[in-house]
Amino acid sequence: MGRRVPLARRNLLDDPRRLIVSAAGVGLAIMLILLLDGLWAGVEANVTSYEDNAGADLYVAQPGTHNFYSAISVIPAAALDTVRADPGVDWAAQVRGLFSIVELHKRKAPVYLVGFVPGEHGGPWEIRQGRSPRADDEVAIGAVMAKRHGLDLGDTFEIMGRRFTVAGIGTDAFMFSFVFMTHNATDQLLRAPGTTSFILVGTSDPNGVRARLGATGLAVLDSDELARNDLALITRSFSVPMRIMVGVALAVGSLVIALAAYTAIVERRREYGIVRAIGAGGRDLVSIALRQTMMLSAAGLVAGGLFFLGARFLITTLRPQFVVLATTGSVTRAIVAALLMGLAAAILPARRLTRLEPATAYRGG
Amino acid sequence: MNGRVSLARKNLFQDRRRALLAVMGVGVALLLVLVLDGIFAGAMRQVTAYMKESPADVFVSQQGVRTMHMSTSALPTETVEAARKVKGVAWAEGLRYTTGIIGVGEERRLTYVLGYDTATGRGGPRRIAVGRAPGPGQILVDKIAADELGVGIGDTVTVLGRPFRVSGLSRNGTNIINTTVFIGGDDFARLRGPTVAYVIVGAGVGISPEQLARRLGSALPRTTVQTRAEFATQEGRIIQDMAADVMNIMSAIGFLIALAVVALTLFGSTLGKLREYGVVKALGAGPGRLAATVAVQAVWSIALGLAVAVVLALVVGIVISSLATNILVVLEPKSIMRTGAAAVVIGGAAAIIPLRRVMRVDPATAFRRL
Repeated sequence: MGRRVPLARRNLLDDPRRLIVSAAGVGLAIMLILLLDGLWAGVEANVTSYEDNAGADLYVAQPGTHNFYSAISVIPAAALDTVRADPGVDWAAQVRGLFSIVELHKRKAPVYLVGFVPGEHGGPWEIRQGRSPRADDEVAIGAVMAKRHGLDLGDTFEIMGRRFTVAGIGTDAFMFSFVFMTHNATDQLLRAPGTTSFILVGTSDPNGVRARLGATGLAVLDSDELARNDLALITRSFSVPMRIMVGVALAVGSLVIALAAYTAIVERRREYGIVRAIGAGGRDLVSIALRQTMMLSAAGLVAGGLFFLGARFLITTLRPQFVVLATTGSVTRAIVAALLMGLAAAILPARRLTRLEPATAYRGG
Repeated sequence: MNGRVSLARKNLFQDRRRALLAVMGVGVALLLVLVLDGIFAGAMRQVTAYMKESPADVFVSQQGVRTMHMSTSALPTETVEAARKVKGVAWAEGLRYTTGIIGVGEERRLTYVLGYDTATGRGGPRRIAVGRAPGPGQILVDKIAADELGVGIGDTVTVLGRPFRVSGLSRNGTNIINTTVFIGGDDFARLRGPTVAYVIVGAGVGISPEQLARRLGSALPRTTVQTRAEFATQEGRIIQDMAADVMNIMSAIGFLIALAVVALTLFGSTLGKLREYGVVKALGAGPGRLAATVAVQAVWSIALGLAVAVVLALVVGIVISSLATNILVVLEPKSIMRTGAAAVVIGGAAAIIPLRRVMRVDPATAFRRL
């Protein structure tokens, strides 16, 4: 045991520069997998931030509404009275939501406008600077949007042809910012007074309230349902490109390992010929190839983890709209990916070794 | 040929399996860049399809609204009449628009909902693949979405909370995010009120879109007036501005991986053959000749890798579009050129270390056993 020569390790360590380049190549592939996973986890964690923080138990909307984002619900503002009249409703507040594109520094920035009634539920849940909007020409914007576009308290910018003053700086959503304004302001922007998108409901009897309000013909959804539907909508759009990117990362990682291990074996074929000549069997040689590829994938995994930490720091510093998370699931998937790469990469080097003639030992290298 | 031996090619291709691994490695790394570019180009084409195919020369929207995707525009209906009175206007129509969900049972898709004048058809789809324009209570559904939802002509779908019967299937209305459905303008107004989102305008004979846009801009206060080309450009910029950061990050990773693969290949094909280089040097080859040998290997790796990447990208594009019919992958020549140019720079960077080693090789190496 102790007398065995660690051929695989020595072979790999023989050329440290090649080992570094190989580990870097595999590490980049692992980093890509971790980044894609991390960006996705960031989206999942943030896509439901309104539902998670608004504090409503139920959302009353136009029939056929399943999502908070993207599908615009329009209901009469008078529905608020109907909802408030329900005996199980503790509080109710109207909220309008719509996407808009604002132009800042000649770049188009997507924002989600939330119109709420000052003093009622549905407005910003976190204000880091300034205060919540009170007047119809005031807004509270996300901290990332403020930082990216150099907006500060008191600055103004245009939304759908009207100028608004930044009164507060608070929360962002995923890859876009919430822009909170008064409900009146959204009425004017849309030329739609007397309407709203959602009525937020606080209640200790969600099932009873839901049954009674549902009977009036309105759609009633709980916040979990809305969050699930929003996530499903996003997932559906981007899951195939994401899977393809992960597949490409796996393929390229395997190829880098295979190339490095194969080259190392080919260049030392005379030594392996000697090993064969002194009695090593096919299984021993396959084991050598496998150990080399697994060591390379382990080195790549370590490099990938380090690259990921560096890339995450760079991305979130330079582009704070991205949230990149490392979860137990993503780390596990990266380890599995490294294992798969190591196994797949062993095929060609192992074939090369098992076909080696013992006579190679007597030829020039 | 003429008795000369191409050392570069011989070194690179002496071991075919290694050459295959190297070329595939570079190819797959560049594939990452090409596929991302292709998805981006496809999304640009899909998102701008409606405006590019529109018969309108000019689009009028709410002041400050220059786009359709992720946008909301509301104009009073009087804007349509006001536009018709402007000199040089051949026709003007209101176009109603919102985003919504098209649903059948538990299956749902995000959709643009467009309400148009079905009598003229100007605001509707350019091509109705099957069936006819929607009557009251009827709807045109894009064919891709109809196939995904499993509906055909005569079936009922739910849009904006109301049931609609499918009267026909249109084309070119589905993109990576959403699909498009068309209903009659009156149905739309009944559900969402009288305002229109856009006014589409046709120019009279002898009037250019730019001239017409200027006249409409002066006549219609508190609006944004754009030619069809400007509107499509603005729409494309949403995708461009939103995707730019992700594209740059992913492309940088793809190029770095390609750099590592080319470097590994050159390590194998030069550093492992220093004795041969020593022989060549002993036979009188100068530094330029040796450098050229390494450079040619880098160029071969990159060129073959790029070719593999292009072929793989075409295959992956077909696979993606068959797995997700809403995604279009368009491989543009300028994308291949850009990737190729960046890959050449990478090849140069990867050759630096092997070049230095080869240039410093001692001719006496030829007489030593390595």
